[in-house]
Amino acid sequence: MKILCAVKRVVDYNVKIRVKTDQTGVETANVKFSMNPFDEIAVEEAVRLKESGAATEIVVVAVGPTAAQETLRTALAMGADRAILVQTDLETQPLGVAKALKAIVAKEAPGLVIVGKQAIDDDCNQTGQMLAALLGWGQGAFASKIAAANGELTVTREVDGGMETIALPLPAVVTADLRLNEPRYATLPNIMKAKKKPLEIVAPDALGVDLTPRLTVLKVEEPPTRSAGVKVPDVATLVAKLKNEAKVIP
Amino acid sequence: MSVLLLAEHEQGQLKAATRNAVTAAKAIGGDLHVLVVGSGVAAVADAASKIDGVAKVLVADSALYAHPLAEPLSALIVSLAGGYSHILAPATSTAKNALPRVAALLDVAMLSEITGVVSPHRFVRPIYAGNALATVESADSVQVVTVRPTAFDAAGDGAAAAPVEAVAAVADPALSRFVSADLSKSERPELTAARIVVAGGRGMQSGENFHLLEAIADTLGAAVGASRAAVDAGFVPNDYQVGQTGKIVAPDLYIAVGISGAIQHLAGMKDSKIIVAINKDEEAPIFQVADYGLVADLFKALPELSAEL
Amino acid sequence: MTAYVPPLKEIRFVLDHLAGMADVAALPGFEDASADMVDSILGEAAKIAENTLAPLNEIGDRQGAKLDAAGVARTADGWGAAWQTLVEGGWNSLPFDPEQGGMGLPNLLNTAVQEMWQSANMAFALCPMLTQGAVNAMQLYADDALKAIYLPKMISGEWTGTMNITEPQAGSDLAATRSRAVPNGDHYLVSGQKIFITYGDHDLTENIVHLVLARLPDAPAGVKGISLFVVPKFLVNADGSIGARNQVNCVSLEHKLGIHGSPTAVLSFGDEGGAVGWLVGQPNRGLEYMFTMMNHARLNVAMQGLAIAERAYQQALSYARDRVQGKPLGWTGNAPFAIVHHPDVRRLLMGMKARIEAMRGILYTAAAAVDVAHNHADEAERKRAGLLVDLLTPIAKGWCTETGQLLASDGVQVHGGMGFIEETGAAQHYRDARITTIYEGTTAIQANDLVNRKILRDGGAGARALLADIAALGRELADGADDSLRVTGLALLDSTVHAGDAVEWLLTAGADDVRVPAAASVTLLELLGLVVGGWQLARAGRVAVAKLAEGDPDTAFLSAKPLTARFFADHFLPRVAALRTTVVAGSGSVMALSDEQLFAA
Repeated sequence: MKILCAVKRVVDYNVKIRVKTDQTGVETANVKFSMNPFDEIAVEEAVRLKESGAATEIVVVAVGPTAAQETLRTALAMGADRAILVQTDLETQPLGVAKALKAIVAKEAPGLVIVGKQAIDDDCNQTGQMLAALLGWGQGAFASKIAAANGELTVTREVDGGMETIALPLPAVVTADLRLNEPRYATLPNIMKAKKKPLEIVAPDALGVDLTPRLTVLKVEEPPTRSAGVKVPDVATLVAKLKNEAKVIP
Repeated sequence: MSVLLLAEHEQGQLKAATRNAVTAAKAIGGDLHVLVVGSGVAAVADAASKIDGVAKVLVADSALYAHPLAEPLSALIVSLAGGYSHILAPATSTAKNALPRVAALLDVAMLSEITGVVSPHRFVRPIYAGNALATVESADSVQVVTVRPTAFDAAGDGAAAAPVEAVAAVADPALSRFVSADLSKSERPELTAARIVVAGGRGMQSGENFHLLEAIADTLGAAVGASRAAVDAGFVPNDYQVGQTGKIVAPDLYIAVGISGAIQHLAGMKDSKIIVAINKDEEAPIFQVADYGLVADLFKALPELSAEL
Repeated sequence: MTAYVPPLKEIRFVLDHLAGMADVAALPGFEDASADMVDSILGEAAKIAENTLAPLNEIGDRQGAKLDAAGVARTADGWGAAWQTLVEGGWNSLPFDPEQGGMGLPNLLNTAVQEMWQSANMAFALCPMLTQGAVNAMQLYADDALKAIYLPKMISGEWTGTMNITEPQAGSDLAATRSRAVPNGDHYLVSGQKIFITYGDHDLTENIVHLVLARLPDAPAGVKGISLFVVPKFLVNADGSIGARNQVNCVSLEHKLGIHGSPTAVLSFGDEGGAVGWLVGQPNRGLEYMFTMMNHARLNVAMQGLAIAERAYQQALSYARDRVQGKPLGWTGNAPFAIVHHPDVRRLLMGMKARIEAMRGILYTAAAAVDVAHNHADEAERKRAGLLVDLLTPIAKGWCTETGQLLASDGVQVHGGMGFIEETGAAQHYRDARITTIYEGTTAIQANDLVNRKILRDGGAGARALLADIAALGRELADGADDSLRVTGLALLDSTVHAGDAVEWLLTAGADDVRVPAAASVTLLELLGLVVGGWQLARAGRVAVAKLAEGDPDTAFLSAKPLTARFFADHFLPRVAALRTTVVAGSGSVMALSDEQLFAA
């Protein structure tokens, strides 16, 4: 079985975001970028499936700028076999990305697609579900455990009330949640080998996909900040304040 | 203009998040129809019909919808979508699973977790884990939107009940099957709807120690939450997690115990009205957002708090 | 405890613009070290340093290494898994020959990776550092049979290497070495006691390969009668598997001021007749071979000075930004009054920042020169680079470690009372830093090396040439357009004049009293450390100003460079003149008191 993973290049999760003064977005110049952490979990899961013999090849796809090649190389260093960059300088939005991935799926015919549940920049949480819809496939979103057997997957999903387990005939789309696995470090030999693995660059036009954003960002602002209140000396004072000052407990 | 709003329910009860989403729908304007999907959900439909501002309730009551799998649920919504300008749902795991599918099937963009309605086509939504707020406009004919419940007040009941109308189930795409659910059972209020939340972090040191929090929660009628560190350490199940990748809460009172206040946790609770932090590390970042901070050993402070209450 | 975040942008800047990463990558054998590869490697190493090694630093300090009932040194919780991460990742093999399982990447890149390991967890990072040093010595001097048995596993890190030099009576003076090796068929039987053996025993790997200095029965007295032996903890079977336990016993572990996580062993060899060992290279040339390892280790210990200072600085900066205390003079902003706004806290932080950047410039420049000296196609270039490495090594080891511990102390000072409390972690860096001026040759040993071998031996030619290069840069900047760099250039130029005076004085100073150059040596080392540190900051400032003029958008980072150079020029380069006075006029007074006078009170 071939597995397709999609990865996004995002501002590193450690970077403290600063909103641009002209309110057009957040500051991204001279900021560290890395692979979206949920996508890293997706790639790790694919590599584990390959190591367990459940998969034979891993193709990793990014839709984004030239610099996203670096993100793809990271995925190759983790153990993906081939990479495809759908190169665009447009702001990528989930529907467009899902359409691009659908076109890649048509060419590659994977048995399973694994993507991160959401990107930590736009926090959309849409791409995997949209791709499943466009393909007419089933989906296992927010997966915290995957087991493959008899041509289908058993996916344990994180839901509001706890865990839900579903059976998912293949082909299907899975989106990775936080606790699916802990991604490995790439080894030095694999980082070096990644350089020599194939990385194909395709234009959205060649796929017949229009990536023009459907949503327009009009303004980006700082959220209202909360300032520190007071320190109380003991529990009795705390309870008194909650009762009499804040009036949040009877 | 008309809005179709997917109701959230559990065990025959309408969930409060639906009422928050109704408030967002009313801010958009137009006729508001609530869609209740499930099996044996007459009471839910009844409750939904009484919410102020609801013009009509559609009920798809079928064994097919006993568990809200994304594929049949989205197929149903798409079959009803004609004529609506907006398809809304509270941002629960059910809607987050199904609505992107609906949007893709309708070939429209989707807006996730809006926290403000500027106009029928313009919304505010948090990005970068709430570290920035984006005002976004959609050019699509249909707006598919999830609503962050904590950002909107809950709509109350109106004077008269709206009519309830049955809709037929649509054919099951049969792309996935429900196997089992392992849901936490609790007598306490649900985390996202509770007026008071008591949450513990890695400082609790073990799952057993959470009973100290539970005792206080029971006194206050509060829900119990946890930081990601406490969940990752296996103290409590994942559905306790408050934060960027867990639940977003905004209760009247949030009591953070032994939680250092990592950015990703703050993203899930910083809109609470009053925040109390109890931590023995005076430098813990949680104190920077707390209205009341108590620097103390939690194993001493919690029994005292229990006694004081 | 503040997290360690590898300063990747700064590291990349120094690699590219001060050390000449592109030129190093163009050397024969380094074809793989392309710019994007360097980025990938540094990025992954940074993740390991930050997420795996750094969190174990405090645990290692608290738990320490402990000798168990079976005589095995046990490392702290999580250390074994961390070592496996490095082995499985191939990180230990980074700079070695691909023919032997190495990655064939430049020493310069290895240096940047080692900086991150050392900052993250110095007590841990000693182990890969010493293993790499042992590999270097084996590669150069061991015969093919020994190499075939030991090198692949030492390169991969499956086995670690140690350096067994010191004995109770033989510290800095190795002429007193007593350990013996007696021929016995195809091998030798080694016996004796070695102390201060870093990672002399541990539970990270299945075998430990000791490189041991010992005397053959017929060896001449003194340092010319010492040979080098390979003595493994476990003998190795013909098929490469682990065989019988050798007679190498860990007698005890030292209780130390710092680096608690690193097991410092007392090793006893041959308690029941003799440990089985094999001669490395020729008889009686052990010290010379050991110096290969030592020189590698000296630049790496110099790196520890930088690395611990970087860690202490990150911690101090973070604390200073968060800690609210007092209202700074002239403060016009609203609350909170974080202490980072107090002028003296700024002075401390700037002093740390400037000297850290100076150290990084020196060490990466030296590391690049090591690559040129080994790999350049042209012999003249190799020789030129080799001389620069020779001259910079004692200065780097002496100045960077002395500065490292000063900065770790400043890091405590920024914390105020909290710095003295172990919980904040600032105190650990201070304790850990203290060893660096001692092991692999104390500062005095470095200074003697500098004076005798690196300055007097060539009649001062190398030192003069370096000072001339620095003066040329000073002159160029003094005539330039940037205000900060003009001031820096003038100060640098001035410092080279004083440094030149001190060097010229040294050349004749020993004529009347041979003790005088030795008395002056550490002061001269400090003086030259300041000059080469100022040189690196001036180079960085020049590059940054040029990049800004080209429109590079990273203005905050780049515009800080000339200002940091200027700070160093204002606060540290003036000390060169004073040190010159001490060297030239004051060295005689070091020995002025008779023993009787010194002990009189």
